[in-house]
Amino acid sequence: MTLSRGPNSNGKLRVLSVVVEDHPGVLARVSGLIRRRGFNIDALSVGPTDRAGRSRMTLTVDAGHAEVDQVGKQLHKLVEVIKVTDLTDEPVTSRELVLVRVGATGQRREAVMQAIEHLGGRTLDIGRDAITVELAADADAIEGFVELLRPYGVKEVARSGPVAMRRNPRR
Amino acid sequence: MTGADMVLEALEREGVECIFGYPGGANLPIYQHLPKHPKLRHVLVRHEQGAAHMADGYARASGKAGVCFATSGPGALNLVTGLATAFMDSVPVVAITGQVNSNVVGRDAFQESDVIGCTTPVTKHSYLVTHIEDLPGAIKEAFHIATTGRPGPVLIDICKDVQQAVGEFHYPDHVQLAGYKPTYRGNPIQVRRAAEALAEAHRPVILAGHGVILSHAEEELLELAEATATPVGTTLLGVGAFPVKHPLALHMTGFMGTGWCLRAVQSADLVMMVGMRVDDRVTAKLTDFAPEAETFIHVDIDPAEIGKNVRPHIPIVGDAKHVLRDLIPQLQTPRHDRTAWLTQIDAWREEHPLRYTRSNGHLQPQEVLIDMYRRCRDEAIVVADVGQNQIWAALWWNYSRPGLFINSGGAGTMGFAFPAAVGAKFARPELPVWCVAGEGGFVMTAQELSVAVEHNLDIKVVLLNNFSLGMVRQFQDDFYGGVRSEIDLTQMPDFVKLAEAYGLTGIRVSSAGEIAGAFDRAERTPGPVIIDFRIDPEANVYPIVPLGMGLQDFWEAPYDA
Repeated sequence: MTLSRGPNSNGKLRVLSVVVEDHPGVLARVSGLIRRRGFNIDALSVGPTDRAGRSRMTLTVDAGHAEVDQVGKQLHKLVEVIKVTDLTDEPVTSRELVLVRVGATGQRREAVMQAIEHLGGRTLDIGRDAITVELAADADAIEGFVELLRPYGVKEVARSGPVAMRRNPRR
Repeated sequence: MTGADMVLEALEREGVECIFGYPGGANLPIYQHLPKHPKLRHVLVRHEQGAAHMADGYARASGKAGVCFATSGPGALNLVTGLATAFMDSVPVVAITGQVNSNVVGRDAFQESDVIGCTTPVTKHSYLVTHIEDLPGAIKEAFHIATTGRPGPVLIDICKDVQQAVGEFHYPDHVQLAGYKPTYRGNPIQVRRAAEALAEAHRPVILAGHGVILSHAEEELLELAEATATPVGTTLLGVGAFPVKHPLALHMTGFMGTGWCLRAVQSADLVMMVGMRVDDRVTAKLTDFAPEAETFIHVDIDPAEIGKNVRPHIPIVGDAKHVLRDLIPQLQTPRHDRTAWLTQIDAWREEHPLRYTRSNGHLQPQEVLIDMYRRCRDEAIVVADVGQNQIWAALWWNYSRPGLFINSGGAGTMGFAFPAAVGAKFARPELPVWCVAGEGGFVMTAQELSVAVEHNLDIKVVLLNNFSLGMVRQFQDDFYGGVRSEIDLTQMPDFVKLAEAYGLTGIRVSSAGEIAGAFDRAERTPGPVIIDFRIDPEANVYPIVPLGMGLQDFWEAPYDA
C-alpha cells in the first residue's frame, strides 16, 4: 500500500491495522505509546468491527520498517490490543473519505459542479457561496481531488484518514 | 459486600500477606474495613513513594506480587516514581489507589488527578473502576497480568463510591484476555539452531539478565554453561544468576563491568543473551558491541526486546527457564576445543582484576564491602541504592545465588534502597538485610526509618558517605570538562544523631580499623542500625567505559603507588 505524505510528515509512511478491545482509554494507550516511542501519527481512524466489543484502528505512522516492527511489538504488549498487522507491504484495498468545502459563487458554480462530477465526487450540501462535496477514494486520489479543486477556492478540508483491508487472494 | 470488602477479600484470595500503604480521603472506605481482615498485614509508610518501593522490594525478595495502597491525587502521584522503577525492572507490583467519586471524575474535584493517564507509560496495565460489578474481575486480572509473562506493575484506580457500593462478590477462578497470552516455550526450531550454534562456536559467551532470576533458571544456566564450557557474565540486574566464583564466571558485564568480561564479550564469536533487554548500559556504543560475534542468540519473554537494540541471528521468544530446559537436552559436545578460549579468559582475569586505591589514608568503600561480605557470605540480602554505592555493591560481593542483590537497575531511582530493604525484610524476615546507600540517595526517602523502628526491622544501613554526589562528581571529572558543579553535600544531617532522633542506633566509622568493630556492634544490636562510613570523597567506580565509547575502551583503576 503506498500513500502520499500528509502536510506534517517527513519520512516514509507505514500503515498498521490494530484490532483492540473497545474499552475506554484504549485510544489514549495506543496514541500515548506511539508518542513515547517517538513516532508521528499521520492519520488515524477508529471504528467498530463486525465483532461486538472490538474496534479497529487504522494508523498511518511516519517511520521506517524496523521502527514500525518495534512499534507493532510494543502495541502488542498492550493488554487490550488483540492483533497488529503491518499493511504497508501488503496488497490492500484502502479508502479514505474527504469532505471539501469549495467556493462556488454565481457563474462559477456550474463549472465547479461539473468538475466535481467529472472527478467522481458527490455534492452533499449547496449554500449561497460554497458547496460541500465528498469523495471516498485511496489517499492518492484524494490528494489529486483536493488539488484539482484548489483553483476554485478550497475553504475547508476534512479527511477521515484511511481505513484498509488486505486484498482477497486472486487464486 | 461492599467494594472495599471485595478489595480486601480478593487480596486474601490472592495470597497477599503484606500491604504497604497510606490512607486518605478517597481510600478511606478500604481502611474502614481493613481491621476486619487480620490476615492482611498493613504497613503504614511515611510517604507513598516509600510504599511503592517497599512493595517492589517485597516482590523482588519474595517472588510474589507486592501490594501498595494510596489515596487519590497527590497520594497516587507519589507512587509514580516507584511504579516506574518496578516497570523498568519487570517487578510484579499491584497498586490500589482511591479515586474521587465516579460522578465527579473529570471535574477537577478535590484531590482528583488523572492517575491512569499519569501512570500508563510506567505500568504494564491499569484499571479505572467506576462500577462495582467490574471490581473483582479487575483485581483478578491485575494480579494475573502483574505476575505472568514479563512481570510488571499494574494499577487499579477505584472510585470512592465503588468502594462504598454494595454488590455480589464473585471472584473469578481464571482470566480470559484475548490480547494477553505470554509465550513461555521457545520455538523448537530456533532452540535447535541455538544448540547447533553453541556447539559450532569457537569463543562463545553467555550474558544473563534479570529474566534468569525472575524465571528461576539459575540451575539450567549453570548446566548449560558447564555442558558447553561457555563463560557467563551477568547484567547488573542479573547479578547472582551465576556464581561469581565459578571458574566460568565473567562477573558483571556492561559499561561498569569487569575487564575480563568486557574483553570476552568483545572477542566472542557467539554471544547468547538470556532474559535481558540488551540496553545501552550493557552494550555501551552499540556499533562497537561484540564486534567479533558472528552469531547473536537472544532469549527473552518479551518479543519487543528482541531486536530492539541488537538484531539476533537466532531469536527465541520464551522465558529463560523453559527455553534453557528445552535447550539442554539438545546440546552437543563443542566441535572446537574451548581450552584456548577459557585460558585466554583466565589470562584476562589476571590482567584486569578488580582493584581499588588503598594507600591514600582514607576509608575505602571497597574495604567496607569486602568486610561485609566476609561476615555474611550468601546469607544476607543486599539492597543497594543508585550511584557509586550500587556498582561497588554489585562488584565487590561474590554473590553465589540469585535474589540476594536488589537494586534499581533500569530506572536508577535514588532513594530506592532503604524502603526496598524494608519491603525485602517483610518478605524474608529470616535473612539479614543490608541496605547499601550513598548519603544523597538515603536522605531522599529517610523518613521511612520510622517504619523500620516501628516494626523493629533488623536492617543494617551501610551508608557510604562521601559528602558529595559521587557518581555525578566522577562523571563531571571525567566526561564533563572537570567542572565540579552542584555536587557538594557537606551540609547533611549528623547521621548518628539522625538515627537517634528516629529511635535507632547510629555508628560512625572514619577509618578502616573501625570497620570490623562497627559491624560487630551493628550485628549485636537488634533492630535497625545506621553505620555512617565516612569514605574517601575521591573514590571512583572502576572499570568504567567512557560515555559514548565501546566496551573495549574501559578504564581501570589506576595502580596504587
